[in-house]
Amino acid sequence: MTIGIVIAVIVLVVIIAYISISNNLNKAVVKIDEASSGIDVALTKRYDVLTKMMDVVKAYAKHEEEVLVKTIELRQGMSTKEQQEANNNMDEAFKKINIIAENYPELKSNENYNTLQKSITDVEEHLQAARRLYNANVSSLNQMIVSFPSSVIASSKGMTKRDFFEADSAKKEDVKINL
Amino acid sequence: MEEQTKTNLNVKSLEEIEELRIKARNKAYIGVVITVVLVIVCYLIWQTPQALYFPAILGIVITVILITKPRREFLLAYKEKYVKESLTKIFTDLVYQPENGINYQTIANTQMMNMGDTYESNDYVSGKYKNINVEQADVHIQEEHESTDSDGNTTTYYVTIFKGRWMIFDFNKTFKANIQVCQKGFGNNRVNTIFGKSKYQKVSMESANFNDKFKTYAQSDHEAFYILTPSLMEKIERVTNSIKGKLLFCFVDNKLHVGIYNNVDSFEHSIFKKINEEEVLNSVSNDIKMITSFVDELNLDNDLFRKEA
Repeated sequence: MTIGIVIAVIVLVVIIAYISISNNLNKAVVKIDEASSGIDVALTKRYDVLTKMMDVVKAYAKHEEEVLVKTIELRQGMSTKEQQEANNNMDEAFKKINIIAENYPELKSNENYNTLQKSITDVEEHLQAARRLYNANVSSLNQMIVSFPSSVIASSKGMTKRDFFEADSAKKEDVKINL
Repeated sequence: MEEQTKTNLNVKSLEEIEELRIKARNKAYIGVVITVVLVIVCYLIWQTPQALYFPAILGIVITVILITKPRREFLLAYKEKYVKESLTKIFTDLVYQPENGINYQTIANTQMMNMGDTYESNDYVSGKYKNINVEQADVHIQEEHESTDSDGNTTTYYVTIFKGRWMIFDFNKTFKANIQVCQKGFGNNRVNTIFGKSKYQKVSMESANFNDKFKTYAQSDHEAFYILTPSLMEKIERVTNSIKGKLLFCFVDNKLHVGIYNNVDSFEHSIFKKINEEEVLNSVSNDIKMITSFVDELNLDNDLFRKEA
């Protein structure tokens, strides 16, 4: 009788632990997905501002080769790799826009251009925040995946470690804009 | 100009302020003498320890009545000369109201802590430093408790929830959700209550050091990461290490609220202590530096992200 109760208690504890750990793993995955969609939103905002910047620059630099911002592909639910690629392409486009703008000093006194410069800085901060939040959530999930006993449950659910969103070194320079 | 002249006329000389201090101090001594005499007389008449309570309480009441007015006159004159004049050198658009404070609701709206049963605030300062709007005041929040002994006698006592300074600064980023950063060890954070923090969730930042020292709550974790950049977290840690007391940071409605729970009443001077101008000016200057250090250390004047209204 006593052994039966002990076994029942152990089974109950195991079931509760399984449910609790499983829920925590599921929550961590949901948080990562939310953070990933935050990156999508920030990338879209960045894309919009870059497009507007290019439009303003074009008005001054008619003879310059156009920076092909519009060829950068963005869509909802991109993988981390695709997000990184889009981000890197935007870094390149931003650099080129800056190089063109450097040749036209009158651009710096253009109110629209200055406003967009401030906007891009703020958008960059939002992108950094989304990236850091995503990485913090990935780190949390990856820790659970490699730690016992959550590793056993993660493995039974077929969960694998997620990739971090790596910051491109060139992008880190973006925030150092001289206004 | 006329107003300026009036203000200057209100500023008393050191000798006049010392006279006011001595007058207040002497009234306090008279009160103490009255209390002692009352206690001795009552003891001689009734010769029981219980008979001492009434004259002791009466004596304290008489002392408080005697010193309230002269102490107030001394402190107003002292603050006009030393505090206001020092503040004028640092802040533009200065408003200094020694007897007023920050509105109760302003602090309650931060939802940082239980607001208790009594609220006092004074030494209100408002002005601009490096073009940043700054407000500050001393704040004392207490909670009323009752205890009943074995004879059924009920005693009311007060427990301090927060005593120190509350400051409000313009913040250089626009944000939609509120964030709270509470130094660990501040036991009155509202998260401890059942109904507190309903809209806030605990957020773990990526800095283990920061998480060890602070509890962070946010209405949106994205906004927490947006406001609390690695650089700002380092600055918050640095400024916290340089100040005695427990610090609270609330990012609310595009403002930064800072609470310093240090049990200190700033810009005050005891009626029993002779005024030494050099010491007084140093002390006032340190109290003012505590305000400006947040703007300087946290780079609140950096307008890289500030959107024009």
